[in-house]
Amino acid sequence: MTVFAAEGLTVDIGGRRIVHGIDCAIPAGRCLALVGESGSGKSQSCFAPFGLSVGVAGGSAILNGEQLVGASEARLRRLRGRDVGFVFQQPLTALTPHLTVGKMLSEAWRQAGAPRPGRAEMVAALERVGIEQAADRLDQYPHRLSGGQRQRVAIAMAIAHRPKLLVADEPTTALDAVLRADMMRLLDRLRAEEGMAMLLVSHDLASVADHADEALVLRDGRMIEAGPAPMLLRAPTSDYARALIAASPRLTDPPPPLGPVGPPLIEASGVSVSFERPGWRRGRVTAVDDAALTIAEGEALALVGRSGSGKSTLGRAIARLGPIDAGAVRFAGAPLPDRKAMRPADRAALQPVFQDPIASLDPLWRVADVIAEPLRNLQPDLDAAAVAAKVAAALAEVDLDPALADRRPAALSGGQAQRIAIARALIASPKMLLLDEATSALDTLVAGTVLDLLGRLQRTRGLSILMITHDLAVARRLCHRVAVIDAGRIIEEGPMEAVISAPRHTVTQKLVAASA
Amino acid sequence: MRLSLPLCLVALIALTALLGPFLIHWPYDAIDWNAVRAEPFAAGHVMGTDSVGRDLLARTLVGTRVTLGVATAAALVALIVGVAWGAVGGWCGGRIDEAMMRIVDALYALPFMFVVILLMVVFGRSILLVFIGIGLVEWLTMARVVRGQVLTLKNRPFALAAEAAGARPFAIVARHILPNLAGVAIAYLLLTVPQVVMIESFLSFLGLGVQEPMTSLGILIKDGADDMDVAPHALFLPGMVLIAILVCLTIAGEKLRDRMTA
Repeated sequence: MTVFAAEGLTVDIGGRRIVHGIDCAIPAGRCLALVGESGSGKSQSCFAPFGLSVGVAGGSAILNGEQLVGASEARLRRLRGRDVGFVFQQPLTALTPHLTVGKMLSEAWRQAGAPRPGRAEMVAALERVGIEQAADRLDQYPHRLSGGQRQRVAIAMAIAHRPKLLVADEPTTALDAVLRADMMRLLDRLRAEEGMAMLLVSHDLASVADHADEALVLRDGRMIEAGPAPMLLRAPTSDYARALIAASPRLTDPPPPLGPVGPPLIEASGVSVSFERPGWRRGRVTAVDDAALTIAEGEALALVGRSGSGKSTLGRAIARLGPIDAGAVRFAGAPLPDRKAMRPADRAALQPVFQDPIASLDPLWRVADVIAEPLRNLQPDLDAAAVAAKVAAALAEVDLDPALADRRPAALSGGQAQRIAIARALIASPKMLLLDEATSALDTLVAGTVLDLLGRLQRTRGLSILMITHDLAVARRLCHRVAVIDAGRIIEEGPMEAVISAPRHTVTQKLVAASA
Repeated sequence: MRLSLPLCLVALIALTALLGPFLIHWPYDAIDWNAVRAEPFAAGHVMGTDSVGRDLLARTLVGTRVTLGVATAAALVALIVGVAWGAVGGWCGGRIDEAMMRIVDALYALPFMFVVILLMVVFGRSILLVFIGIGLVEWLTMARVVRGQVLTLKNRPFALAAEAAGARPFAIVARHILPNLAGVAIAYLLLTVPQVVMIESFLSFLGLGVQEPMTSLGILIKDGADDMDVAPHALFLPGMVLIAILVCLTIAGEKLRDRMTA
């Protein structure tokens, strides 16, 4: 029985057509994956028919025999409460901060017209989505939960009223690699148990193909390719789908060529970082505990760990961009000064690239000024023409049009912004880059090209790289060695291929399994 | 459009108040013995005269000048002191921030009117004291708003990127953080001006503001209110100008604030 069917579904925003006709049908218990880059219209196509976006749906979208296009707001609201459940990308913003988990759950029940659930029912609902100590969690607020737990609560709310269709918009994008795998397995299990149809939106074709029955590839609001997911993954007919699949790195890919390695460049030992406990409670929480790292010239080291493992804190402490309690860092043989004593020349040698590309550029600055900032601090007496020439060269090095120099960050795509952040890092001729989840906020295709760019730069410039990531498959594209961090301690370290083929620690095994 | 309309109206009022007194025949402090409490349009006085025969239009124009002048000056003081205080507190954080914000709290807790009246009693009436008194309170909100903005902005990746680019702390604050909070600060500045107008008018209404024969909207309203039963027109014009200024600036400020914080 078909639960959801679309025929020639279109979406218009402000009179502009952004989705040009989608055809699909999802039978009960099956999963359709809607795959595309950001801006391809994939989220709009699954929210607009239900009246959940500013977009106006046209064509035909039928849920359980009821036409959604042109239905009244009251009718859509009733359908949403009764027949459809939604899971969103950002688990924190999808939950209401001032309501306890229990309150939100019973609200979800009430919306579906069911009687107020008892405590036991709610505990059972939470346990079903894999939340431990469910009875305690009922009285907690969303900020006390981890990212994975939040997403589980959001799923529990979405399926509380036993919907016939579950719409999941990038449900795993904000989670780390291990949680991604867990969450997809959870969704598979619930779908099988409930016989729900599922509409799964993702930018990563390779990662959803194992979980979807059918896949539909969207580009610029048009269907590029559709068909059974395993076939589409194995033998894509369109170039675009082929590129999407190739861009997402897997541990089974052949190892990439890596540059030669020189003498040690950065040696950090005994690094410890702790933070004051938030709120009224006294005391400190240890984020990094006695960690040691060495990176050679021209070598890329991956610092891999789950979210909250302390990997970013350690990277920033070493780069003198975050707090540090104890520990020595030597750079090219000499001790690196403290954070406040770093001179522009010290800073220039070790440049970071952060996760959120748009937020790491000052929104008021022109691209040219953003890129030139390290240069201006390093060589204040350089004249404007020389600066402009260096900026143009840096833009060319990251494969960007020099005309972008006059834009402001709001007018850039995520990939362009990240390339500009890389250009800013390169302009002062650093010896080492700190890549703090530098590709995890980007679409698969864009992330792939940025990774290729970083690999090329590393080989041509002989850069050392400290790459912080939760995804081993991404790290493997660039890195010689890997250090795995968990709960603030480095638990395993070694050459990339050796660690992947024979992980010793359970956390490493999980990370390898999640990226396989 | 919705934002520029009230701002244009205020600008128009300010311009009229600035240039108007040069264009009309009557000085604001000259007494026309032939026309005491004249009706509008009587004896060449377009808006009539007050209880001692001074031209009301001229007095309203000068009064608007004084009120807007005091308000602008006090708002600028609030902007400069508040932004500096909030930026230092927010950027330094820790104990310095804690101490600076407790000072703000303490000043908030002072009964403002009582302090101003005390100052007047001790030092005598002067427009300088009005400035000091108003400036004393108006920067507090600005300091809190700016501190909050600095706290969020300094943890944004672009501030960290600036540090990595070798920028000194002062340069990060001056070139990255302050420009990014300017919009919010200007929005609150626009909301401060009507508050200061109210305070100044209130002090003048109580007889604590500027001295005769100099005038302000508050004094004119007080005088008009005294004569309300025999000469209602004396209350009408200054009252309308005050209302127009307050409403326009409040609407503009709130619109701008919503736009900045949305």
